[in-house]
Amino acid sequence: MAAQAIGRTRLERIEYAIIVSTLLLLVVVTVQPILNLLAISLSDPSRIAGMSGLTIIPNGFSLDVWSLLLQHPNVQRGVFNSIFITAASTVIGVLGTALMAWGMSRPGLPGRRLIFVVVLVTIVFEPGIIPDYFLMRRLGLLDSYWSVILYKAVNAWYLIILIRFFEEIPSELLEAAELDGANPFQVFWTVVLPLARPALATIALFYLVFHWNEFFRAMIYLNDQGKWPLQVVLRQFVVEGDKLAIVGAENATQNIGVAQIHIRALKAGMILLTIAPILLIYPLILKFFTKGTMSGALKG
Amino acid sequence: MSLADERAIASYARERSQRWQGTKNGLRRWWPYFAMMAPGITYFLVWHYFPIWEAKMAFEQVRIIPPNIWVGLKHFQTLFASPVFYQVLANTLIISTLKIIFVFPVPIIVALLLSEIRGGALRKFIQSAIYLPHFLSWVVIAGIFIALLSPSDGAVNQVIGWFGVRPVSFMTESGTIRWVLVFSEIWRSAGWDSLLYLAAIIAIDPQLYDAAEMDGANRWHKIRDITIPGIVPTIATLFILNMGMFLSADLNQVINLMNDVNRGQIDILDTYVYRLGLKTGEYSLATAAGLFKAVIGMAMIMAAHFVSKRLTGKGVW
Repeated sequence: MAAQAIGRTRLERIEYAIIVSTLLLLVVVTVQPILNLLAISLSDPSRIAGMSGLTIIPNGFSLDVWSLLLQHPNVQRGVFNSIFITAASTVIGVLGTALMAWGMSRPGLPGRRLIFVVVLVTIVFEPGIIPDYFLMRRLGLLDSYWSVILYKAVNAWYLIILIRFFEEIPSELLEAAELDGANPFQVFWTVVLPLARPALATIALFYLVFHWNEFFRAMIYLNDQGKWPLQVVLRQFVVEGDKLAIVGAENATQNIGVAQIHIRALKAGMILLTIAPILLIYPLILKFFTKGTMSGALKG
Repeated sequence: MSLADERAIASYARERSQRWQGTKNGLRRWWPYFAMMAPGITYFLVWHYFPIWEAKMAFEQVRIIPPNIWVGLKHFQTLFASPVFYQVLANTLIISTLKIIFVFPVPIIVALLLSEIRGGALRKFIQSAIYLPHFLSWVVIAGIFIALLSPSDGAVNQVIGWFGVRPVSFMTESGTIRWVLVFSEIWRSAGWDSLLYLAAIIAIDPQLYDAAEMDGANRWHKIRDITIPGIVPTIATLFILNMGMFLSADLNQVINLMNDVNRGQIDILDTYVYRLGLKTGEYSLATAAGLFKAVIGMAMIMAAHFVSKRLTGKGVW
């Protein structure tokens, strides 16, 4: 380092400055749009109308937008549905994936190759959404939470990551437990799962983020708006521009309640509300995703 | 029956019984593992294999009162005779091509820049910020981009306004919407996708750089002669894998950035299948289009896998 510092020329310093500023520009371009929405959502409702898309400072300060959104029945319903669906599918996903990966990681398991092929085929060949839709219909799961909870219940990629992890558990540990008279279920529960805690945490986060962000299946499987997760509520409001979804027809015609808040602020608030849980666990995501992705992908 | 025959039969019977004994022992030994795998295997069979069976309706006339009537390739003929199909196919290929050309190289550049950053804290800060969009849903990103690109108060129009450019309605003008797909994809993935390249750069032997410095190599020389050759296998792998997904063009992205005005420009195979099947109820035709994509897509992924495996030792799985 010292030698480098001495040897550094003016040109090199300029180069370095360009590199750093390019990356900082990327940081600004990434973060500014989100901060702008935050500023709009925290501004005084009467001063939102002409706000620039460039500002990151609220125009006046008010929590009106947030309190209205959080008290809104459709939004509350969406938050509840999202949390319920995400929690259920994450628990089911982690458990199902871990159990299956454990079996598949055992050398000598009869039919091991066949099961691998069964899983890999699903990665390569997806017949499309219409047959999926018909499956749900046939199972009577349309308009049921289960249609969304069980979508990608066991993700083939995460399964492969876990199998690789389980394969590396030293067999002495397992044999020791077996000698103590533990049956395979006990070995799995008392030896394997505790050892796999970091890998399981990674997989759990993968599932959590995936299911929190899922909207398409919820959109096509759930007709009943009362079961919509937040993403679908957000989509109807922001992407399809259905203002009444949040404002409500009665409020809109009489210009009362939510209708008095500028639509931009409501949209901004909704977007941030949908991001909030991701931001909340972002430190964990950074820690586990970075490691998980690198190990999972590089061993490939 | 000769003695030899009897012996042969006896030995055959013994073998059979041993094999049966083996399976029985196998069952005794392995049934707990199968019990543990049962929920997962059931899931795969029902959720992934049953739809493959259901896909047979691409060859049937769906009737309200079953059974459906077998019509063979009729729906495929209708599909291949329809101009809309070729339009969405063209859109899909154009969008995927744009993404390969303009999105694919960005994370490589980001990784090269990041690897030049010396301060650990500065690098961490930059990484934490630019990885974030990868974890946001396309609904959210579409919401952000609709605000960002608004002709009246969006940030982009204000910035181009400084240079005297008049506001552009990026979301509705036919010339710009495909670029919205390109730039929103860059916004989402440039940071996170640089991670794999960065990992490859970090894995390069630092002695190579020391030796180059001794020889008086500057930053550019080192990047050109050491770093880039060092990550070429990673670039090749990811490029091939990307090619394998060529017919996808990302349903989740397109469906959230699509509106009634820009539809003609960015209607892709997946959105076509969705609209045809679930909006207009042309189940068979939609399934046929979906199967077309699935079969070509499978061929491409398999090809990608084996080419990649051959060239770089790393496959899709």
